[in-house]
Amino acid sequence: MDLLFIFEWLDTSFLADMSKAYGGVFAVVQMVHLVSLALLGGAVLITDLRLLGLVLRDVPSEVVTSNMDRWFSLALIIMAVSGVFMSSAVAIKLYYNEMFWAKMIGLSVGALFVYFIKRPLLAHPHETINVWALRLLAISSIVIWFTVAASGRWIGFS
Amino acid sequence: MLNEWLLNFARWLDSFAWSTAIHESFYLYAWIESTHVLAIMVFLGMLFIIDLRILGLAFAQVPAARIAERLDKPMMIGFAVMVITGLLLFFAIPVRSTQSVWFRIKVVLLIAAGINAFLFRNKMKEVRRDGREEVEPSKRLRLGAGTSLFLWMGVVMTGRAIAYDWFDCHKDLSYAMYWVAGCVDEMALVE
Repeated sequence: MDLLFIFEWLDTSFLADMSKAYGGVFAVVQMVHLVSLALLGGAVLITDLRLLGLVLRDVPSEVVTSNMDRWFSLALIIMAVSGVFMSSAVAIKLYYNEMFWAKMIGLSVGALFVYFIKRPLLAHPHETINVWALRLLAISSIVIWFTVAASGRWIGFS
Repeated sequence: MLNEWLLNFARWLDSFAWSTAIHESFYLYAWIESTHVLAIMVFLGMLFIIDLRILGLAFAQVPAARIAERLDKPMMIGFAVMVITGLLLFFAIPVRSTQSVWFRIKVVLLIAAGINAFLFRNKMKEVRRDGREEVEPSKRLRLGAGTSLFLWMGVVMTGRAIAYDWFDCHKDLSYAMYWVAGCVDEMALVE
């Protein structure tokens, strides 16, 4: 399926008019994107390091997970919205950028992983879940999100 | 005077072969910068959650002092990596960084955030010494957490802005702006 039409539409959209005309607005949105990345990183790491038993061992992992879930989702939403805005400035260029697609694949895998595997599984009492399953979940999560972040940075280098 | 001294220092760093080598190596520079961003995720991520807890916006059912204490070590690991990679990035491009308005604001914010963190840590130590870990954070601690959030967000934002050349020395700027950015040669030309 060729997705070029989405990028062509984005390239001529109202968002692109704004992101191309106002460099300052683009920069501020990019900064918000980066700050949200930090929040996302914190939520991911605290949840996963707790599942691995490396931090907050005296706080039940269910409590850690439920507290971090909403901050994770908030960060992801802000990143997605700011990300679409940033993409609009260089839509066609991004379509031909391999690193952008690597990031999009990573992001899709990450979102599916969180909302269809990790959260449904962690909805059960954690002590009833196999400890190796928990560890695998945590390590996969850290690897996925740090890869998404790194590949995102590399869009700018490639 | 200070501007001249800073520029001389930057030029001295720039004279090292390693400085040029990092700058000119595509992969080395890109990886150092990527590691810097990933370290921000670790350090700032932990810091945000600690501050949000002090403000009562996360982990409301867990004592704030416990969250701050338990997340301190991973936060400081992120901080160490962030500082090392940050220094390397500065070392790779010392002159332009020294003459960047954004970098200068970032350093000022970093110093302010450092002082705030020092006061915050002392206050937390007091809380522990007095056995008040279970008590909700005082107004002063909450103010410290809010200040920390804003200062560190400012550090990241101005750090990102260094990449933009809006106020670089080669641009046509006012004398005041040249002074703020430390554009010593351009100031001499105006004079």
